[in-house]
Amino acid sequence: MSGSQAAHAAVDLSVKLGRLELAYPTLMGSGCYGSGEEFAAFADPAKIGGVVLKSVTQRPRLGNRAPRLVATPSGMLNAIGLQNPGIDWYLEHDLAERVPRPWKTIGSVAGFSVDEYAYVTQRLAARPEIDAIELNVSCPNVAAEGETFACDPKLTGRVVRLVRDTTEKTLIVKLSPNVTDIAAVAREAEDAGADALAVINTVRGMAIDVGTWRPRLGNVTGGLSGPAIRPIAVLAVYEVARAVKIPIVGQGGIETVTDALEFFLAGATAVSIGTANFIDPRIPERIVEGLRAYLGERGLLSIGQIVGQANRGFAGAHRCEGREG
Amino acid sequence: MLTNQMPAAVHATTVLDRTEPAPGIVLLGFYAPELAAVTRPGQFLMAIPPGGERTATALGIYEAQDRRVAVLFSVCGPRTRELAGLRAGDRLEVTAPLGNGFDLSGSPRDVAVVAGGIGIASLLLPAQALIASSARVRLYYGARSAALLVERDRFAAEGCEIHCATDDGSYGRRGFVSGLLAGAEPRPDLVLACGPTPMLRATAAACSALGVPAQLSLEETFACGVGGCWGCVVPIDRNSAQAPRFPGPDKGGSDTVNARVCKEGPVFWAHELRW
Repeated sequence: MSGSQAAHAAVDLSVKLGRLELAYPTLMGSGCYGSGEEFAAFADPAKIGGVVLKSVTQRPRLGNRAPRLVATPSGMLNAIGLQNPGIDWYLEHDLAERVPRPWKTIGSVAGFSVDEYAYVTQRLAARPEIDAIELNVSCPNVAAEGETFACDPKLTGRVVRLVRDTTEKTLIVKLSPNVTDIAAVAREAEDAGADALAVINTVRGMAIDVGTWRPRLGNVTGGLSGPAIRPIAVLAVYEVARAVKIPIVGQGGIETVTDALEFFLAGATAVSIGTANFIDPRIPERIVEGLRAYLGERGLLSIGQIVGQANRGFAGAHRCEGREG
Repeated sequence: MLTNQMPAAVHATTVLDRTEPAPGIVLLGFYAPELAAVTRPGQFLMAIPPGGERTATALGIYEAQDRRVAVLFSVCGPRTRELAGLRAGDRLEVTAPLGNGFDLSGSPRDVAVVAGGIGIASLLLPAQALIASSARVRLYYGARSAALLVERDRFAAEGCEIHCATDDGSYGRRGFVSGLLAGAEPRPDLVLACGPTPMLRATAAACSALGVPAQLSLEETFACGVGGCWGCVVPIDRNSAQAPRFPGPDKGGSDTVNARVCKEGPVFWAHELRW
């Protein structure tokens, strides 16, 4: 091993989100990675920090009608509609039959009422296979009801407060970008007891077929993901990082280590990779290796050393004038 | 119906040959001995974009023999344009083999293979397998015009009887291939079909009228291609062996469930679809 490789190997990429310890600061985004098993033959499970499972609700949901996907410039629209078998079946079958993997497993909970979130979280979080919970209060694809929570700071606070009482495990609240002031929602979630925030869910969007004059998604509207939303996501992380003290999982169009670094520098403690897995399932491990090399080349020992660096001096930007480096 | 037992993998390949059987249609052969050995008729691959396009492209596997695998596709957008730009010697990574493929068990003796346009790409392997087992294979092949009836000579050379239809009447019968199939004499034991959704619906209706079981290889937009995103679903009878497990009506679920075209399919029994 050469000197520089040795330096890279010594770089610490582990991070903590509340009580959740991740060997790598990379999560696979909910709904993009199935149960993880679908990708296990193509990706190195030992090089993935965690997998956020597909969202589960109290009752079974068939999901939206096809088409559920549309490719768009630098991204894609999706409107899956929270297809899932409901919490009873999910615990009995889907979760019980999971193959143990080295990654951390984060259950994702969606719902249509405050009580549903609490009920599903309590049942899911009680299972030993689940290391943490992500609250999907921001799904844009379920007739506006699902996203209502994350679009209303007070409602977000209510949901998180109630859910907080049901589990000691790390609670990550996934925020919507489809709001006027994401920092206000973030503060409410933090005050209500969230351990971390996932920033951001997809951006609402639509595509129309000019041949048929009809919307191209079965659900009419969808959620936009991919590099098209990356600058929106980076700004959201930047603003949320200024508003809260809890860690942030940055996400939105991350395809390369450079993309991931933007999020860390904006204030994310970890990143989540979603749509990029549809290009090449080896992208997450390449990002991990890229982070190691980036930090190693700069003589940095841990990923934590760059978190939020772009946020330093924000309030007093003028003071930085003329400073080099 | 079969399920995909063979673990797929990412294969690093090298392009061997590239031809254009018709304007806008590309036949791309590449060196992939391991993939050629494990591919079953009706399976597909996800081509990892070689030049910066986003999301992999699902392509039916057209040929798989010895050390060579080939795909046949029409250029219809930026991703297929990128793939069409590959030349002999270029590198191409593919995730494969994916999907279930056609179920050729049950020793069918007389099979109608029905292609709509570029759907022909998924039908050479099953035709070859059936002919190798001494079945009679008739190809019913429809396209917009004569020039787009690509590779029909190849199917003839493999031993298929060829019946063509074109929308403009420039070759074979004028009209849709489903109409041609409806008049098939004698009635085949089994139909295998691949093509655009309206053509498959018409084929399913023709097969239902004939009383012949049909396996349809469906076309749908994929994102992951491996069952992870649930973006490519089709409604199917919950009692189908292919249906993903889901609660029935007694447990708040449904008799019809959404199956993933990429994972449970892409081949489904026509009579089990609830589309």
